[in-house]
Amino acid sequence: MAPAQAAAAANPPVGDEAGGGEQPDGPARSATPERRAHHARLSKGLGLRARVTATFAIGAFALSAMMAGITYFTARQSFLNERQGADQRQAFVNASLIQNSLRSPGTQVNQLIESVDTVPGSRSVLHTGGEWYATSISVGQGAIPAEERSLVLAGTPSSQLISIGGTPQLVIGVPLPAVHAAYFEVFSLDELARTLRALAFALTAAALVTTLAGAALGRWASSRALRPLSDVTDAAVAIAGGQLDTRVDAGDDVNLQELASAFNRMTANLQDRIEREARFTSDVSHELRSPLTTLSASVAVLEGHRSELAPRAQRALDLLDGDLRRFTRMVDDLLEISRFDAGSAELSLDEVDPGELVRRSVEASADVGEDGHRVVGPPVEIRPGVEGLRLRVDKRRFERVMANLMDNASLYAGGVSRVIVERHPAIESGGPPRTIRVIVEDRGPGIPQLEREHLFERFYRGSRAGQRASSRGTGLGLSLVAEHVRLHGGRVWTEDAPAQGSRFVVELPLHPNASDAGSS
Amino acid sequence: MSRILIVEDDERIRSSMRLALEDEGYTVEDVAGGEEAVSRFTDEPAELVLIDLMLPGIDGFETCRTLRRQSTVPIIMVTARSDTHDVVAGLEAGADDYVTKPFVAKELAARIRALLRRSRPDDAGDTSLSFGDVEIEPDAGVVRRHGDEVHCTRTEFRLLCELADHPGKVLSREHLLERVWGYDYFGDGRLVDVHVRRLRTKVEPDPANPRFILTVRGMGYKLAV
Repeated sequence: MAPAQAAAAANPPVGDEAGGGEQPDGPARSATPERRAHHARLSKGLGLRARVTATFAIGAFALSAMMAGITYFTARQSFLNERQGADQRQAFVNASLIQNSLRSPGTQVNQLIESVDTVPGSRSVLHTGGEWYATSISVGQGAIPAEERSLVLAGTPSSQLISIGGTPQLVIGVPLPAVHAAYFEVFSLDELARTLRALAFALTAAALVTTLAGAALGRWASSRALRPLSDVTDAAVAIAGGQLDTRVDAGDDVNLQELASAFNRMTANLQDRIEREARFTSDVSHELRSPLTTLSASVAVLEGHRSELAPRAQRALDLLDGDLRRFTRMVDDLLEISRFDAGSAELSLDEVDPGELVRRSVEASADVGEDGHRVVGPPVEIRPGVEGLRLRVDKRRFERVMANLMDNASLYAGGVSRVIVERHPAIESGGPPRTIRVIVEDRGPGIPQLEREHLFERFYRGSRAGQRASSRGTGLGLSLVAEHVRLHGGRVWTEDAPAQGSRFVVELPLHPNASDAGSS
Repeated sequence: MSRILIVEDDERIRSSMRLALEDEGYTVEDVAGGEEAVSRFTDEPAELVLIDLMLPGIDGFETCRTLRRQSTVPIIMVTARSDTHDVVAGLEAGADDYVTKPFVAKELAARIRALLRRSRPDDAGDTSLSFGDVEIEPDAGVVRRHGDEVHCTRTEFRLLCELADHPGKVLSREHLLERVWGYDYFGDGRLVDVHVRRLRTKVEPDPANPRFILTVRGMGYKLAV
């Protein structure tokens, strides 16, 4: 424990400096593109929905405003015409009454004008003998527009809308040439105006309600119309996430059936193709295993008779043996990859002590070094707080992860300097542990930022391609590391080591409620 | 000089395996098919059989079952597929262990040695063990249920002894792999699982609802007391 603590003191645990905001620059988890797609779907869906809603609202508003306008003006015109006709008839009746009365001499004009039968709200103005008479003080000749006055006095009947004190009035002038007089009657249209105001209010309210209804209808229609689209989007996201057996249900809508069946056909083809490819890789790997078995057994026989071979033959045997191992690894890796591609990779989980797991894995990987000789493994530092935790893990896959990371380090980075096992968040933070991090540090020159994200791609060798060692790897090691770790629900990334070289960090989630050591 | 029977249809693999195993000091017989394997074994029983799963005619699974019916001889199946389905099917057919092609000859030799070692009945304890209506006599290599002898393979027998030796204690898969199969930390847990299943059909009154050999989720197995 002493060296581990010393090291911990020299280099503060990553968990500490990481805090919560640390973003590993390693391989983006597969969730990232999905999340992006989801985000895009959301904003696009909202945009389209909003647009449809707005279109419906505007359409409803325009339509209802137009209808209201037409209704209002038609009603107003017809009310007015009706009123005007009635008032004119009234005015002419009164005018002829006055004319008859004026013919008989000695008529008291004041009494006459008072006696005229008027509807409520109408007032009479009479011009006769150069004098003006009115029934109301407020409405005299001054209330009648000058042009109308002169027009009527010149002998033309007239009818005009005016406004007195804010109330609309209808002025009807009837010339009485036979008695050299003119009779005007001013009808108040107050009641009509009130009716029209009420009508206008009702129509405006109706238009508003219609607009809102239009918007609501638009919203409903758009979400209804977009539902299949969002179904398809969900399906596409699921497919992108690897669930190739996802299909879209068209329902009984003829328009959608076409889209759905095209989509489903596409997915089926895609699935078929991916499965065929995976099957092909798997078949090839299996077929290669038979000759490899013969080769491997024969080389073992030759190894057993090594002393009988000439030195040149021994060297040839070493070459044969080395590349046979590499070939075998490559076939194994390809088979493993094809299982991931076909989605048939299965976890065989065991509950283990993380420290023990890493120690054993490092030992096992060190045992079979690249050249087949026994190698002493790098030191394994178990940080405080790891003891007593239980990790649910597929041991075989974890061993492959460690073996591949260590191979990678010995091929490209001068070997592994140390392996660290720590809990995250660190025990000092006081919180419950959520993950276990296994950190493999190497002695290499470090990895350029640009290459880090490609590092876990198949057959990626980057700027290391020219190095001597690159001809010994399979090019699949790190991509398999990523696949194995992802299958565990964990992640892996690379970063600069504190002192020198780079470090690969494998983070595996702790099984919940598994902190009990369970010493049985 | 233990006699090993290799059942493998690929002539080159057969020859190379024969060479490698002869170098390890075994007497090797090889046959190309299942029928031949059964008749050869009946004529002259081998001490261990290696069966390739993909055989023409009666396949490896059937060959394994046929041999199992007449003998408790240790069987290692050789498979090109390490998929769960094939491995489990092979083990359920009665194999004691499996190796995946292409295997390292030294590893195969180690597996053979481990199996042959445990097929000699002198490595068990000598006190008789019992649970329920099952009685085990380790030194005689005999298991009795209701007084009738139960036919167990050597591997099943050792597994049963290991469990019966620690009644009430949870034994992890690793522990069982190490003690029964001689594997280190990275042995395949499926070996244990399938053998436990096979054992249950022999000693449990109702194998689907075991009363004695219990599974402890995520931890291993234990013998109920």
